Amino acid sequence: MTDTMDIAEYLSKGGRLTNPANVPTRYRAELMKIMATFVDSELAGAAGFANVINAGPGIKERIAAARIVLEKTDNADKVLKLMGEFGANTDRYANHHPWSDRLPRDTAPGTPRSAHDMRLSVLNYPLDGWVDAVVMNMLMGLAVGVQLTEFLTSSYQPFATAIREIAPREQRHTELAVEGLQKLIKQGQTDTIAQSIAYWWPRVSESFGAGVSPRSEALRAMGLRRRTNADLRDAWDDAAGAALADLGLERPAP
Amino acid sequence: MARFHQLSVTDVRKTIRDAVVVTLQPLNGGDFDFTQGQYLTFRQEFDGTEVRRSYSICAGKDDGVLQVGIKKVDGGAFSTWANETLAAGMTMEAMEPMGSFHTPITPDAGKTYLGFAGGSGITPVLSILKTVLMREPHSSFTLVYANRGVNTIMFREELEDLKNLYMGRLTVIHVLESDAQDIDLFTGRVDTAKCKALFEHWIDIESVDTAFICGPEPMMLGIAAALRDHGLTDAQIKFELFASAQPGRLKRKASTATEGAAAKSTEATITMDGSARSFTMNKDQSILDAALENALDAPYACKAGVCSTCKCKVLEGEVEMIANHALEDYEVAQGYVLSCQSYPLTDRVVVDYDQ
Repeated sequence: MTDTMDIAEYLSKGGRLTNPANVPTRYRAELMKIMATFVDSELAGAAGFANVINAGPGIKERIAAARIVLEKTDNADKVLKLMGEFGANTDRYANHHPWSDRLPRDTAPGTPRSAHDMRLSVLNYPLDGWVDAVVMNMLMGLAVGVQLTEFLTSSYQPFATAIREIAPREQRHTELAVEGLQKLIKQGQTDTIAQSIAYWWPRVSESFGAGVSPRSEALRAMGLRRRTNADLRDAWDDAAGAALADLGLERPAP
Repeated sequence: MARFHQLSVTDVRKTIRDAVVVTLQPLNGGDFDFTQGQYLTFRQEFDGTEVRRSYSICAGKDDGVLQVGIKKVDGGAFSTWANETLAAGMTMEAMEPMGSFHTPITPDAGKTYLGFAGGSGITPVLSILKTVLMREPHSSFTLVYANRGVNTIMFREELEDLKNLYMGRLTVIHVLESDAQDIDLFTGRVDTAKCKALFEHWIDIESVDTAFICGPEPMMLGIAAALRDHGLTDAQIKFELFASAQPGRLKRKASTATEGAAAKSTEATITMDGSARSFTMNKDQSILDAALENALDAPYACKAGVCSTCKCKVLEGEVEMIANHALEDYEVAQGYVLSCQSYPLTDRVVVDYDQ
């Protein structure tokens, strides 16, 4: 049983790679980009949320926000550790960019990400108070949920394994946001919520990227992605629309 | 960041004609408290070239030792050296254990595990089965172990002993390619069809919680396909691709002499995804930015010299790497640079992202 097979063929047939030593160059590059985007987004997300902990209207809310900051940072650590196995300098990486940096609030949706980190574009926009943070957390949390289903089947097994631990925590963050919104609605904050939904909806939607990326096919062949950006965006659109309907809220007009 | 630590070799024992079990003792720190199924990455110089190889730990958590199994591969510098030269008293260098080929131990659980190993793919599977049988007293393990013939079965006696020790909880099915056995089913290759046949009468696939597979690529694909057909999810199937699939390292090409040129621009040739593109670039532009500007889909992430995503190899000419927080000395010695931090010094540079 010593016969081997071309790695590209192995991957196209659903094979899994298990350590940096047996990863081909191009695959390494694409995987590193995917992991860097994840790490940067978690670090930027946590940094943004850290600033709203004190805006929480009560102890419970502040605990929820602090927990989100803690767990998103830990999620970043899990994946950054895998990047370290490929040679990334993990200590420097964690500090190479000011993760709390944001663009001005009125920047148009879809503005390209800043040149020096790989965070999803939605994380370039600043939060505006507690209600806004809760709305963003729910809409973005649902987007993260959709993205993570892609990574659960990643052909790089250590990454898929890490995501398997991360996904339930991210889901809990979204649930915390839904609970937060229920409370805010009871307090009569529906108008403020609607304004935030109108602000964040197009920005979260844009974070899925171009409908069909020229690399989609290559990424699929490598087993690093399965669905196109457009498919993922549609899945999010459905999930977010349904979540708003459950709360008695309306999705913004296109 | 991953670092190498020194380990003393306390024992080298042959398991079969062309495979050894190496026992190691950390000398100067490093956390070598491994998880079952993990591997060690070693480095060793051969004729001035550093070679890195990963080998799975074959010891169980409760064996009290750190052991790896190394099977000799034809033409493999490291494995041949380990089999022919390595002896007790020598020192090796390895990084701390890595790998995710395991599931958490839950002492109260009564789980059903299924392991598939091809040849030397037994090493991590052996570590896992020893550990779960010891630490999960209610769990059981079935091992399907594929080999060419009886004399190439690594750890054959050890497995027999374990079967006796864990009577009724460990089942071992040897499938041999060339040696005939009493039961026809146990002769041949372990592929999708063989798995299906095994699942009919020999293995209760419905009860399996987790399957571990380690062996050559075609074997792993065949087994995974059969497991998925029988309802196992991706979360339940753990792969480990073993060392034979590691790409060899090319010798560094001789770099051409630097010419005393003062031109502001450089003729750059960049190879990516198998095709080469040439263009003129400015010397005060990084290789990465020049590639991106010329519509090449060059890989990058941090642009700060820390993540190593933009790594490429300089084949001709010279570049200056202004920061390097990710590549190790041996990689730089082989001509690798971080393209986001590299600026041309010569009037012509040739770099390759595919190596």
